[in-house]
Parts: sequence; C-alpha cells; structure tokens
Amino acid sequence: MARKLITEIVRSRDCILFYKGDAYTVTVAPEMLAAGWSGGQGVMWCTGTDDERTVTFSDGRYGGVLLWGSDEAADQRTAQTGNQVEYRFATMLCGGSLLSTSTYERYTYASRLLPPLVPITYAANEILYFSLRGWWTNENEATLSGAPYAPDFFTGFVAQVPKASNNFFLGVQTGL
Amino acid sequence: MAEIFRTRDCVVHFKGDAYPVAISPTLISNGWSGCQGVRWVDSVEDEFMVTISDGLYGGFLLWGSDEVSDQYTGVTGNQLEQGYGIFCAGGWLLSTSTYEMYTYNSRLAPPLVPITYVVGERLRWSNRGLLTKEDEWTLSGDPRAPNNFFIAYVVQVPRAENNNYIVVQMSI
Repeated sequence: MARKLITEIVRSRDCILFYKGDAYTVTVAPEMLAAGWSGGQGVMWCTGTDDERTVTFSDGRYGGVLLWGSDEAADQRTAQTGNQVEYRFATMLCGGSLLSTSTYERYTYASRLLPPLVPITYAANEILYFSLRGWWTNENEATLSGAPYAPDFFTGFVAQVPKASNNFFLGVQTGL
Repeated sequence: MAEIFRTRDCVVHFKGDAYPVAISPTLISNGWSGCQGVRWVDSVEDEFMVTISDGLYGGFLLWGSDEVSDQYTGVTGNQLEQGYGIFCAGGWLLSTSTYEMYTYNSRLAPPLVPITYVVGERLRWSNRGLLTKEDEWTLSGDPRAPNNFFIAYVVQVPRAENNNYIVVQMSI
C-alpha cells in the first residue's frame, strides 16, 4: 500500500484554489453589492455605465467565478474587511482551475421550487453547470426552467464529491 | 532549432497547469507511461484522486511510474511508493510516445493496422487513456458515444527523425 503523500487541505474559505487559470479584477453590479456573494459564485457579464468590465450573478451563462466572497468569515477583523463591497470590485477566475468550494447546489431544482428537498448526488467526472443563481450544479437548470437561452453551457467537471472528510466541499475542475 | 532530446515518455516544450494528485490502486498496480490520460475518481479520503481515463478527461500524468530516465536515482519509483502523480491540464505543447499506434478494431482483431496521424487533427483519449484520433466510444458501442471531449491537436506527426513521438498541443 502506498504511503500517503497528499497533505491536509485546510478549507477556511468558500473557495480553495489548487491551481489557477486566468484572474482579473472586475466591477460588480449593484444587485451583487446589495445581496453579497460567496467565494465560488458564478457570474456573467452585464452592462455597466462606465468603461468597466461588470459582472452580475450568473443565470446559467458565464463569465467566470468569483474567487473571494464579499464577507467571508476568514476576512473578518482585518484591514481589508469588506473592501470588495466598498470598492465595488471582485476577482474573477476563468480558464482552467482546480478548486474546492462550498458554493454549489445541495438540492434539486425541482425540489427547491416544490419541497420536500431532494439532495443532489454528485459523482466524479460529472459535467457541471451554473444554476439559475450561479452556483455549481449537475442539473441543467436553464433547460429545466424553460429559459430561452437553454441549454446551459458546461463549465466544469466534478473532481471530488462532497463528503464528511472534505467538509462537504465540492472539488471542481473548471473549463471556462 | 536546437535538437530535442526525447529521453522521457513525455517531453514538454511549454507547460500549462500542474498539480500533484493521489493515484488510484489500479494505476499503482499497473504502472503508467508519461502522458497517460486520467480522469477523476472518488476516494474515501480528502484527496484529489485520478485513475486511467476511459475517454474522459481530467488531464494527463506528466511522468511515467517507472521510466528509463528515472532508474538508479534517489527518487526511483517514488510516485508508486508515495501514491502520487503530477496531474496536468490547461495548454501544453509536448512530445510523447504515449499514443495509439494502431486502430481500435485491429487491436481487438489483428493484424494490426497503423493509425496515420495528420497535422491539425483533433485528438481524444482512447478507452485506455492514450492519445488517439479515433472515437473509441463509438467504435466500442459505448452508450456515451460520440466522444467529443477533444483535448489536443496534432502539431507534428510521428516519424523516424522525431523517434516516432507525436507532438501535440494540449487544450484541457
């Protein structure tokens, strides 16, 4: 039996990055500033008033992924607490990354509309999309909801399923 | 252009992303070549684990488990011993000897028929995780067919002066 080389992964943020693709600072839309967001949130482009690249919550279309949440526990009581909201910016990832995130859909789209809630079971190598609110999911919610832009684009693969030993984080290989 | 020494299974000209991952018991028991295609598989522990690709990616493993170039060194066999491999994805330009040399059908029912590669052709992983131009999901009747998970282009075809290595541009 091989000895274990892989070190412990400390999951102290919404989105833990193992290797990264492209990263760029973008302006966030007013509705995101008002609602806040988690690390790993899917975003899509929208129109801003200035000469800025502006993103808002994904409705299944991308964009990219916001690396840091707007108000994460790990960012409290630091000199930069709340700076993304204050300065209306965020760091957007696109390209190929390997990440682990708590920002994914736990329950099926249909059961979120009409409880009782039915858990989603993820499997390694499943294709992932952004849900209608920009969270990772294996359901094509644009198709399920009859959105005119259906079907959703494929945005990643499951690299690790959520389980107790990984704090129920979802491992994702992004393909954005 | 300087001479390219092809002393390993996979010779990298420019690189994309690389990350160490745990390897499955199947890979440990069988061994693998550099540029072996891999896919994700679940593990009981909190680790990212891969196994041999069946046409799906993931990515590929940079170094083979027991390459000639790694013999009689301080790290000979260390990937097998420690249960890890270097997982690669993103954009790469590389030369490799790990590709399908014969058609899927002829491997099942010889005589072997060589595959002729052409510059610019799109490549997938075969059902055993080697680069190929054939859609082996369709040829094998896999219910997931067709395999449209293209992961590379042919940049240079295998021939005598490149030691019959194929040069590919990866895009994973």
